[in-house]
Amino acid sequence: MQKFVALLIIGLIIATGYTFVTYQYFFGGFTNLHNYSKTPAYVLNGSKVFTNGTVVLQIARVDGPDTYGGFIVLVQLISQNGSVVYQWNAEQLGSIPQSHIHNEYPLHPVKSDKFALIVPLGQNASVILQVPFKLQSGTYTLRAYDVNGQDSAYGISFSVTVQTQQ
Amino acid sequence: MQSPNVDQAQMALPIMRITLGWLYFSAMLRRVWNVPAKMNPSSSLYVGGKLITFIPHSLFIGGILQYTLLHPTLLFDFLVIWTILEGVFGLFMMLGFMSRLSGLVIALLAWGIGLGAGWIGTTCLDEWQIAAVEGAAALVFAFAGSRWLSIDQLLIKKYPNGLRIGRWDIPLW
Repeated sequence: MQKFVALLIIGLIIATGYTFVTYQYFFGGFTNLHNYSKTPAYVLNGSKVFTNGTVVLQIARVDGPDTYGGFIVLVQLISQNGSVVYQWNAEQLGSIPQSHIHNEYPLHPVKSDKFALIVPLGQNASVILQVPFKLQSGTYTLRAYDVNGQDSAYGISFSVTVQTQQ
Repeated sequence: MQSPNVDQAQMALPIMRITLGWLYFSAMLRRVWNVPAKMNPSSSLYVGGKLITFIPHSLFIGGILQYTLLHPTLLFDFLVIWTILEGVFGLFMMLGFMSRLSGLVIALLAWGIGLGAGWIGTTCLDEWQIAAVEGAAALVFAFAGSRWLSIDQLLIKKYPNGLRIGRWDIPLW
């Protein structure tokens, strides 16, 4: 009986511990409540810009609904003084050949759907884009916009600053 | 007026047991009987892709998820084993067969999936609520068993100390 009670109390601690620890870890319920499923967020770290005009957009979808989207409808290449050097609109992003997209995981691939570049939750892909002219070497910012009009969510900016490579 | 005793508490347990069991048994049914394409790796309905959506904010198991997703055969085997566990122990839970073992297995299934999916839920804290309550409910059965409206009530009359292997009594019910 004593052994049973001891095990029962361990079980009580495990069940309660799981509930409280995951509540805090997943949602910050005891400090700053958040829900990362609400709206899409993207991380562009690892993107590359080449002076010949080739841009490798490294895009990871890290937040938002699991069953739908996210839809990238605008990608901008911005120079250091803030002017847009080149941008890819929804039509261009919606017609990228699959051979120019390299997905980290075989399931739920990033792909163009005529209207946008779809980036499923959890996927991480390199997307090859081309600026139709040579770029001056230097520092550029790449910025992506979700179809909801946002370029940031949950404190994550959908942008990255990169140095050109030869 | 008799005060509530253990037997009366036991008589309440089937209310939870059958619903809890169905949540797992029906998970198998949906993949095997309703929509078999869910278990077809070349179908867009393949449930293997769900694991990708867990990655961004999973707890402890991110590395395992990534490794499994990069090895499609392993992923498929994992899904088959998981589905069998859900179907078998979900049914056992409903029938009240080896309730204590079934409770332990279901608690591990609930908490395991919760470490991955727990952060997902667009309306409420959906997946976290599911994992937390199913895990706790299943663990109740791991300790209490179910000795009313169950197969275990027959087993426990014949084998009150559980399954005997050598000199060990394994309390499966």
